[in-house]
Amino acid sequence: MTGGWRALLRLYAVQGTWNYERMLGVGMGYAAEPLLEDLKTVDPVRHSEAVVRSTEFFNCNPNLAGLALGATARAEYEAVPGAQIARLRTALCSPLGALGDELFWTGAVPALIGLALAAVVLGAGWWAIGGLLVIYNLFRLGTGIWALRTGYDAGMKVGSAIAASWVPRAVGRIGLVAGFTIGLAIPMVAVWFLRGFGWAGGLGAAALGAVGVAVTRWFGPWLTSVRFTLIAMLLLLVFRWMGL
Amino acid sequence: MSELPPYGLVILIAWGTLTALDLVSVPQGLLSRPLVAGSVAGWLAGDLEAGIRVGVLFECFALDVLPIGAVRYPDYGPATVVATALAAGAPWEFGLGPSVALGLVLAILGGWSLQYVRRWNARAIQQRAAALAAGEGSAIRLLQYGGLVRDGVRGAALTSVGLAVAAMIALHVPLDRRTAVGLSLIAIGGAISAAVSGALRSAGQGARLRWLIGGVGVGLLVAILA
Repeated sequence: MTGGWRALLRLYAVQGTWNYERMLGVGMGYAAEPLLEDLKTVDPVRHSEAVVRSTEFFNCNPNLAGLALGATARAEYEAVPGAQIARLRTALCSPLGALGDELFWTGAVPALIGLALAAVVLGAGWWAIGGLLVIYNLFRLGTGIWALRTGYDAGMKVGSAIAASWVPRAVGRIGLVAGFTIGLAIPMVAVWFLRGFGWAGGLGAAALGAVGVAVTRWFGPWLTSVRFTLIAMLLLLVFRWMGL
Repeated sequence: MSELPPYGLVILIAWGTLTALDLVSVPQGLLSRPLVAGSVAGWLAGDLEAGIRVGVLFECFALDVLPIGAVRYPDYGPATVVATALAAGAPWEFGLGPSVALGLVLAILGGWSLQYVRRWNARAIQQRAAALAAGEGSAIRLLQYGGLVRDGVRGAALTSVGLAVAAMIALHVPLDRRTAVGLSLIAIGGAISAAVSGALRSAGQGARLRWLIGGVGVGLLVAILA
């Protein structure tokens, strides 16, 4: 695979031109450039068509975009009909979005954040923050390399390659770990903050938290936790201004 | 708010810009997570304790966000940097509330500015539609670098405006002790509510909810014993 490392590096900026029309489209085209370079000398017309296809609408989790990128680049070299490649891109959007979101946004990220929060509360400081960054970025780099290679090796059969891979199994497990670590962190963080305010302050903040959970459920999505907090702060300032 | 030399301000703005870029554009390496953004900002502002406290609190708010698909969400990176700068130098029990209030407003503004950049990106693509349809590599690169620059400018502007407002608050908005403590308690209560809401929504009704409850049990035990 020529240009693999450059493509991998460019995938880190795949959302650089994110917009509501093509979403990741242009970013995918940017990342595809090094992979398609050899096609320019072999078949310049095909190369032009491939570049155009690579910038069309595409959306998925950015961390698994390498699977689609590798698969479509391989298909271009194998002279698969353009319409078939476009269909493959469209078909990959939803599964790569769902798997990637579950693996990263609701899995690895909250799992590691929960652990880091708990460690910071216990006094780990920079070790917790450094560990969070190193572990996450190594996981992400490894996944990125795997995704690009697997996509390129599988070509049009990338769907089967994903189904047989470690990703679907990992998604099921990492979500449970994330649930546990976030659950672990919340009471630790709450006690860490409220210890300094005594019983009355602690109970007041905890009660406010409980009210916040309830009202943001009832009045969501308009009343988010951020808006709830800002409204409560504004009310306090008004009451204090009134001398209460 | 600690007094910073001009180069200190420039470094803070650069860090705020980097966290803004990290959220979506590049490199998405968790630099924009409040825990990271706040700790580094605290270190830069000369008050690591404030940075960690502010970072942990904003991290709880960020746990309520799922950046899935085209969902709109607040931008907590530059907001945490600015909030940390405001909280630096004061006892955290008093500095936390006002800095979180400013940070939350900035986070909302950051989310809006992100939508603006996305629309701006779309307009740039429309203007180069013919070049894209012709498969011109130079057009793709220009669009890509343009998108990164737009997001960078957004982050720099957000952080700069935020730091200017923070300086004005520090100079012109004196708060008595009771009000400052009250704001801090509301900030903590709001953050707990955000973290719990986010955790419950992600957990759903299945096995993850049981693991979440197990985690809460262990966390309570550790919090009491620690």
